[in-house]
Amino acid sequence: MNKQLVHIKGTKEGLVLRLDDSCAYAELIEELKNRVSEGGIDNRVDVQLDIGYRFLTKEQKNDLVNVVEQSGKMHVSNVFSEVISIDESNELLLTSKRDTYIGIVRSGQIVKATGDIVIIGDVNPNGRVEAGGNIFVLGKLKGLVHAGFEGNQDAIIAASHFEPTHVYIADKMDVMSNEKPFVSQHMDQIFAYIDHNGFISYERLQEARNIRPSLTTVQGGS
Amino acid sequence: MGEAIVITSGKGGVGKTTTTANLGTALALQGKKVCLVDTDIGLRNLDVVLGLENRIIYDLVDVIEGRCKAHQAIVRDKRVDEKLYLLPAAQTTDKNAVNPEQMKSLIDELKREYDYVLIDCPAGIEQGYRNAVAGADRAIVVTTPEISAVRDADRIIGLLEQEDIEPPRLIINRVRKKLMNNGDTLDINDITTHLSIDLLGIIVESDDVISSSNKGEPIVMDPNNKASLGYRNIARRILGESVPLMSLDDDHKGVLAKIKSLFSK
Repeated sequence: MNKQLVHIKGTKEGLVLRLDDSCAYAELIEELKNRVSEGGIDNRVDVQLDIGYRFLTKEQKNDLVNVVEQSGKMHVSNVFSEVISIDESNELLLTSKRDTYIGIVRSGQIVKATGDIVIIGDVNPNGRVEAGGNIFVLGKLKGLVHAGFEGNQDAIIAASHFEPTHVYIADKMDVMSNEKPFVSQHMDQIFAYIDHNGFISYERLQEARNIRPSLTTVQGGS
Repeated sequence: MGEAIVITSGKGGVGKTTTTANLGTALALQGKKVCLVDTDIGLRNLDVVLGLENRIIYDLVDVIEGRCKAHQAIVRDKRVDEKLYLLPAAQTTDKNAVNPEQMKSLIDELKREYDYVLIDCPAGIEQGYRNAVAGADRAIVVTTPEISAVRDADRIIGLLEQEDIEPPRLIINRVRKKLMNNGDTLDINDITTHLSIDLLGIIVESDDVISSSNKGEPIVMDPNNKASLGYRNIARRILGESVPLMSLDDDHKGVLAKIKSLFSK
């Protein structure tokens, strides 16, 4: 055999199967079958696949995963790839976009964004803001907001004055009423998020850094 | 070339027609040539408020469908000489008898002849609203200090902002000092910050407005009434003068208190 097509590497996170990305796909499958059936592994282990710069469709990725898992000893926890299709890339661009709306979202108006949205102005009662990502209102939020409407559970809704009628995050919904003492007592600088129990919770804006550290994209401040 | 102003509110019963009648009369008293256009087809009553009901021969739909010329349908108000005119709505058909393009060309025609064309908009946001807004250069939104009226004003302002006209301005009608000072209704500041558009003026609640409407005489003809003063001030602001906002809390003092306050200065 001239060249190894499947490298098995041990890392901190577990075993990584690095698959050659310049050989023929059929060859790779064949080689992979041989390697994973070699044995030498006693317990069931989590492995990760690294397919490098080879572009694979979803079905092909599933095939690879099946091949590995057929050995019965390995479970694929993740598939790494250095390349994505244009469709995926566009989708990523859309959801990572940040839009800005300057003005008041008035009664009966709907403002939609694929990614995050910053509203510079108020959201009046019966006004509606929907975003695939987070919603930030630099004004009075008094209408209806739906963050993460494509299902992003990590989305948050933050407002300088927080007094909405309805709050939706992903598939969760909360109707504002007097029974929310935290919100009705504070109102200023609050954000809403889904807590680890799966309920919509409210916190002071200062806590966002601890609750959703991934929101920070700029380093520094020191 | 005159200016067309649509007077609208979304909600019914807040005083669009009364405001149109009084503002039109006030502008005419200031020496401007004014035409009031009632676009509430099917439910016309601007003519009644002005006391011109029995002088109508042709109406807006007759003009638009070419059965007569605009000047034949327009009724002159004899009280304000040669200055105040009304184009009445039709009563026997509905809002769909007219479309926005027809309205626009009619209003454009009237603008050539008059200094101000005031368009009385029907309640709602359907065809009637679209017709009324079509020819307008600017808009006045009428609301009252009630939450329902303010919500509808918010909706209508949102729609007006989509139109190719100047930012709308606000009139707060039927302001009751006592309720407002006690905090039982929204106050002026609440309403203007919520709607965040320019305030054109406020009109205090007055029984005389209702009785004068019933007599077919706009209240603005009475120079001593507080509501009348409000309309006159608004007319002057439309003409570009800067008139300070009427104070709300000066006149429920008695004569004695007024004398007292004179001495305590």
